[in-house]
Amino acid sequence: MSQAQPIDSQSTLVNAIKSNDSIALKSLYTSNYHKIEHLVLKNSGTKEHAKDIYQEAFISVWNNIKNDSFVPQTETALQGYLYQIAKNKWMDVLRSKRFKQTIAVSKLNHFEPADTAHEKNNDDIFKENRLEGIMNVFKTMGSPCKELLTTFYFEKKSLRDIAEELQIEENTARNKKYRCMEKLRELVITSQK
Amino acid sequence: MKHNSNISQELLETVERYHNHTMPQDERKTFEQRLENDAEFNTLVNDIQSFLYGIEQQALKEKLEEFHEEIPIRMDTEQKASKVRQFQFMKIAAAAVIVIAVGCFWFLNGSSNERLYDNYFKPDPGLPTTMSSTDNYVFFDAMVNYKQGDYKKAISKWEVLQNKAPQNDTINYFIGVAYLADKNVDKAIPYLNKTISTSNSVFIDDAYYYLGLAYLKNDHIEQAKAAFKKSKYENSREILKALK
Repeated sequence: MSQAQPIDSQSTLVNAIKSNDSIALKSLYTSNYHKIEHLVLKNSGTKEHAKDIYQEAFISVWNNIKNDSFVPQTETALQGYLYQIAKNKWMDVLRSKRFKQTIAVSKLNHFEPADTAHEKNNDDIFKENRLEGIMNVFKTMGSPCKELLTTFYFEKKSLRDIAEELQIEENTARNKKYRCMEKLRELVITSQK
Repeated sequence: MKHNSNISQELLETVERYHNHTMPQDERKTFEQRLENDAEFNTLVNDIQSFLYGIEQQALKEKLEEFHEEIPIRMDTEQKASKVRQFQFMKIAAAAVIVIAVGCFWFLNGSSNERLYDNYFKPDPGLPTTMSSTDNYVFFDAMVNYKQGDYKKAISKWEVLQNKAPQNDTINYFIGVAYLADKNVDKAIPYLNKTISTSNSVFIDDAYYYLGLAYLKNDHIEQAKAAFKKSKYENSREILKALK
């Protein structure tokens, strides 16, 4: 369970998240899921909803930690933040038209009315769509390139380590990475045509 | 936006450095200045960053699917309730552990000899009391009391007879086992000792056996062992084995 952690462990956690440390991410993910599931199930949702909302929230938290827009101030700030974001996201879903059509309004009384409406400007929407497009293409990208880019950009392994694993020269790995990136860009362009 | 504009390897790596905050300060300064002044460059860098984010985010998304498989399964989705229940269970479990611990302590510490005694001690069944007109009326009258579990009454009657015939092995034996049955071990021992001093007594094996039990109860292990060794009963041998 998520136990109270001292603040320094929170900053350790933040650093671990910034470097995509698999163990830290996993423990944060697995130890906070049930609270969200409970919330969603109690409020007209299913386990599938809970999972989707939680993963969305998790990625938001991850993003906000990465760009320093969230800095934990208390011992369990990060865990609380994750819960809050997931909760807000689920409230948005409940308020959405599509959802309201199928669920009786009376069931939604649990939630208070919206306090802040998220207004997005065109720039943001454009950026989001662009990001989504890239992600979808990357998802289906061929294995050698996808793997290489994942190890380099997500796992943050150095080119030297990657080269060693693949038993190639470091410079070859560097060129490979560049070509894979070019390929991904190409694929994104064609996907938008 | 010009998607097909070429991105050189050098530019890609520059943006990587910027993205990862590994850019030296003066390089960053120049870089940020150019971002501000060159709109096209700015768009290009932004787009490359979108790729870097996109790759990372998609990789994370796929990782989350893996993590999700490893979330410990809960039978009860009513989390709060289960937490309370869990807490209750913990309390009960803790209490149970204490009870068991204390029990074990008492049971094990509360003298294994005592346990052995309780396992083996059964009052001597006594002698058959037939309706007869023997002169030993008082003796058999007391035997009836003994068999009914009224050990005190039996003892008081037998002690009168014992005063008249202090060396009678039968009377000494039954007073001894009566005291033992009455949980008065200290008084039982001298009578049983008197019984065994009659070397040809028919009660000799029984007397040694009960004497052994009496010593056992008093935690006089060596004396108990000596007594059991002289008794030919199977039970005596079992107890000796247990005492080793």
